[in-house]
Amino acid sequence: MKDTFRQSMKWLHTWVGLVVGWILFFMFLTGTTGYFYEEITRWMEPERPLITHKVSNSQLIDKAQNYLEIHASESQEWHIFLPNRRDSNLKVSWREQPEIGGTRGKKVKRILDVHTGEDVHIRETAGGRLLYRMHYRLHYLSTKISYWIVGFCTMLMLLAVITGVVIHKKIFSDFFTFRAKKGLPGWLDSHNVLSVIALPYHFMITYSGLLFFLFTYMVLSTNIQVTDAELDEMKDEIYPRSAKVILGNINATMQPISSLYTKTKEIWPNDNLEFIEVYAANDINAKVIFSRGVTDITYNPIDELSFNGITGHRVIEPELDYTIAGSIQNGFFSLHEGQFANTITRWVYILTGLIGAAMIASGLVLWTTKRKPQQLKKVNGADFGYRLVEQLNIGTIAGLPIAMAMYFYANRLLPVDMAERVEWEAHIMFISWALLLIYPAFRPKGNAWLEQLILGAAVFTFMPILNVLTTNKHLGVTLNHGDWQYAGFDLTMLFIGVVFAFVALKFKQSQRKKVSKKHRRQVPLTKMKGVVDTELVLSKASSGV
Amino acid sequence: MEHKSLSVFTKFHFINPRFWVFSRVVAAMFGGYALATSSSLLIGQLLGESVGKYQAVHISLMLSFLLYTCAVMWVFSVKSAKKAWLGLIVANVLCLALTWALMQLVEMSR
Repeated sequence: MKDTFRQSMKWLHTWVGLVVGWILFFMFLTGTTGYFYEEITRWMEPERPLITHKVSNSQLIDKAQNYLEIHASESQEWHIFLPNRRDSNLKVSWREQPEIGGTRGKKVKRILDVHTGEDVHIRETAGGRLLYRMHYRLHYLSTKISYWIVGFCTMLMLLAVITGVVIHKKIFSDFFTFRAKKGLPGWLDSHNVLSVIALPYHFMITYSGLLFFLFTYMVLSTNIQVTDAELDEMKDEIYPRSAKVILGNINATMQPISSLYTKTKEIWPNDNLEFIEVYAANDINAKVIFSRGVTDITYNPIDELSFNGITGHRVIEPELDYTIAGSIQNGFFSLHEGQFANTITRWVYILTGLIGAAMIASGLVLWTTKRKPQQLKKVNGADFGYRLVEQLNIGTIAGLPIAMAMYFYANRLLPVDMAERVEWEAHIMFISWALLLIYPAFRPKGNAWLEQLILGAAVFTFMPILNVLTTNKHLGVTLNHGDWQYAGFDLTMLFIGVVFAFVALKFKQSQRKKVSKKHRRQVPLTKMKGVVDTELVLSKASSGV
Repeated sequence: MEHKSLSVFTKFHFINPRFWVFSRVVAAMFGGYALATSSSLLIGQLLGESVGKYQAVHISLMLSFLLYTCAVMWVFSVKSAKKAWLGLIVANVLCLALTWALMQLVEMSR
């Protein structure tokens, strides 16, 4: 392409990054929320009670079992989620009988009051789950098309990461030479620092993202090498599971699950047993499985204890056998999802995810910064492509976070009993994003940046206040009660608002500095239409137009 | 640079560089994917005897993304788009031929 290998790679890096930069930014941002999706869901269901510490797990299990016996007697698959560090409510879910022709039934979720054991009626919302699912299941597109678009973008991301390493001459020494300058060197350095600082994460998240859809993306090779039946067998080898429970079709009364819990506690006294599965409930073959909190990076083959639900005897399951390639793949999945992470590691995940988003954003801004002087010299104004990139940058980098905030606003402001409430929460997010993408077309670019940054500061800072106005679970209550899961969300939003305000302030200062610098070069102030047009006026003046 | 070597077509000298970039993009996307596929067939065949078929196929698929990346980088690093196309074709044919030869060998040893 170019004269040297490095220059060619630089060219490639620039263009693969630009082409899908905005979708990648979307994927990184929505994907990063996934590390806190349970906490987000809890905030989006404000009817849920605050944390109560006084009820023992055994009592909670009894209440959950009682509820399921009454409300899910037709279902064969039950789940009980005990309060844990991420979700402090008692939650049950079950799978309904599949509809005629369907293979799996719908999953139903209920939050139970820890005292009464009754359903807490929560508003309809898709919660944090929908938000993080957007990063691979693009909301309005069909599953298959989203997977291919996401795969294409991820492949270009992998290319950008690897070419980025290649073109970076002094990857380690540059790490320590952040030049806090404005303009091109500053942006380049920010891009470099953000990339290098979390390089292993960027590579891991991108490559593992591709592995999730291994057989979809490499469909040709898969079909040539194995038949459909062989593929199914192969998948069983890669993702080994315990044997499925077969219904005996004879009714039987189950042991209290709490008694099995006591037995499990004797074997694993120190582990958090937050998740209980029941298969073939109230059937002669009923099986109860207790899972240890997933604390291992690789999927641990002995993370469960099984009991016969009728006799209460322990069932010894054969250890799950992973192939080497299978453990590598599952290890990558585990790293990608971060399910094993404790609170601190989870925050590190959030931080590296945001660094990834910031890396993409700085790369996109860098593209325009580099071309700006040349574009401003053009007689007929900047090129269409340049203006488009600038507009998409503002609409996405500053606009998307605001749109995501609107998702939370919709959750609070849409009527609780509204039809299609779940759909409209997402519609409002995308309508907001569309508006913020269009808006910069009608404003000078510098103003558009500043205004959207200020808007971001406003909507995020206002979120806790909105919570005060619309619910009884606001900071005054949650902090007082010590419920950090609720309070954490409000505080994080407040913090993001402050960050937006800070960036807006810095942006304004840098604009003013630019003006005063130009001013020193003796350009009459009257010629300046506004802060942003300064450079245009200047360059036109200097080129004699 | 490629448009210099093609200066015969002076009429199109304005369009030419863009066409060749486009040609490279197509080569990288589809030729690269073909190479990722054919090389994964070869790896699958090479490893099949030692780690079993399923794991060999699995490893070959996992590596294919990295090979794809290398192929794309190579396409954009060579002097001309023609060379890139030629290289991709040769590499693809080579992978397929070797895979076929290996299959025959395995067949014979059975």
